[in-house]
Amino acid sequence: MSNKEKNKSNRREFIQKGMRLSLGLSIAGVAGISALRVNADDYVWQLDPFKCVSCGRCADHCVVSPSAVKCVHAYALCGYCDLCGGYLKPNANELSTAAENQLCPTAAIKRKFVEEPYFEYEIIEDLCFGCAKCVAGCTAFGNGSLHLQVRHNLCVNCNECSIARVCPADAFERVPASQPYLIKGDFTAGDDHA
Amino acid sequence: MAIAIAVIIVRDFTVNKKGKNIENPYAYDISEYTKVDPSEILYSEIKTIPLNISTPKGITIWKDTLILVAEDFLIQLNKNGEQLGKTILSSSPTCVTTSLNGDIWVGFRNKVSVFDKDGKSIQNWTSFGDRSVITSLAVSNDFVYVADAGNRVIYKCSKDGKIISRIGEKNDDKAVPGYVIPSPYFDVALSEEGYLWAVNPGRHSFENYTADGAMRSSWTKSSVKTEGFSGCCNPSHMAIMNDNSFVTSEKGIFRMKIYDQHGEYMGVVAAPDQFDEDGLPAEVAVDENGLIYALDFNRKQIRIFQLKENG
Ligand code: SF4
Ligand code: SF4
Ligand code: SF4
Repeated sequence: MSNKEKNKSNRREFIQKGMRLSLGLSIAGVAGISALRVNADDYVWQLDPFKCVSCGRCADHCVVSPSAVKCVHAYALCGYCDLCGGYLKPNANELSTAAENQLCPTAAIKRKFVEEPYFEYEIIEDLCFGCAKCVAGCTAFGNGSLHLQVRHNLCVNCNECSIARVCPADAFERVPASQPYLIKGDFTAGDDHA
Repeated sequence: MAIAIAVIIVRDFTVNKKGKNIENPYAYDISEYTKVDPSEILYSEIKTIPLNISTPKGITIWKDTLILVAEDFLIQLNKNGEQLGKTILSSSPTCVTTSLNGDIWVGFRNKVSVFDKDGKSIQNWTSFGDRSVITSLAVSNDFVYVADAGNRVIYKCSKDGKIISRIGEKNDDKAVPGYVIPSPYFDVALSEEGYLWAVNPGRHSFENYTADGAMRSSWTKSSVKTEGFSGCCNPSHMAIMNDNSFVTSEKGIFRMKIYDQHGEYMGVVAAPDQFDEDGLPAEVAVDENGLIYALDFNRKQIRIFQLKENG
């Protein structure tokens, strides 16, 4: 098998594995603590994506600007949909994927063709400001694989998180710095891009 | 100065405190698409049966009996909601259907079990394998059709669980497009004449097959407007009426609609404002009298809809 074919078949296996997990709704998550700004014994703020109701406050209430809360993608839960509810505006059936038809206000989601009819979606973190619009779309129409997390390479670990104070879903909690993420699926936050 | 700061802090706390309704400038707004012209609503809700079940999973109807599967059991109810029987299952079911003689066919993640109409175990099939995610079953006189969302295929099986053929896999020579199933919604049902219909949710299509697995016809309705299906995978559930019209239920924008036997939109059974905003899309079932039953997973109710007199 040539390298090209091998890559293609690996990609297909990956999608099938991902889809199986997503179809079985397997939920799990652990992550490393690289690039944390605290000691491993400390506690840090994190939000529970299963409680989050995509209210938009994570975007505007963080002391860091743009927000330390970002969208992350649980690839194992993703359906690799062509008509991604987190990527396209709801009336996208009749539209193209031009920027004005994308749901994300900053076009922070990159769409990549994998194989007919599957597409992969990647978050460009520098452009994401945690508005949760894509999270709402993905949760409503898709599998909920797009979700928010406090990114610990950016968070300054305030004594009292100013988003936690206004979160209507009480989604914020203190978690051990050794396990700083409450993630869905197989998103790996170990690479904090510090 | 100190007072001004105190005022700002107090105001900030009052305006932003938890639970207070602050407008979301980034709201994902689908309200425009959830509006339905009242003249399009052809059905009215005539009865609601509350269920004392924490996790309902599926519903089917045989004559006057409502058959439900839930967390780890199967129950039969009469149409007033009174329990007629209960059978404990070996694991968590995913779907249920009946055959003409009233036998109850229960799907699990990767296997199928059969019970008589009183809930007595008749058969347990062997597993379809780890990759399977069985989401729907349809039983004809001779065959059992098993929808496997994990493998994106329908197995045509003998009544004792032997796989005879695989239906719906992508085949360019036979113009079969293949199933696109991003989430575990993949429904099958038989028409009045016994033809197999399957939803291809990623394509917003209905596909019709002969018993040999050849595609007879299909129809697609892709649109965010009420008359179509939108999002990554819709409709999530369907049932076929005696006159071969299709009753559908959708995720994203929760609503139930009805299409004629050719796939032409007829109208709405239940509009989005009749469902809770979050949760799972209702499963649908129909009876011989043309009543439509919605298993509302969020409210934990069976909701019964009847054609309006002028509908
Ligand atoms: S404030 Fe809470 S509910 Fe709102 S987006 Fe952030 S985590 Fe979600
Ligand atoms: S829609 Fe909002 S949360 Fe999602 S990627 Fe764009 S900026 Fe980030
Ligand atoms: S702790 Fe501070 S920096 Fe971190 S998310 Fe909350 S407000 Fe932002």
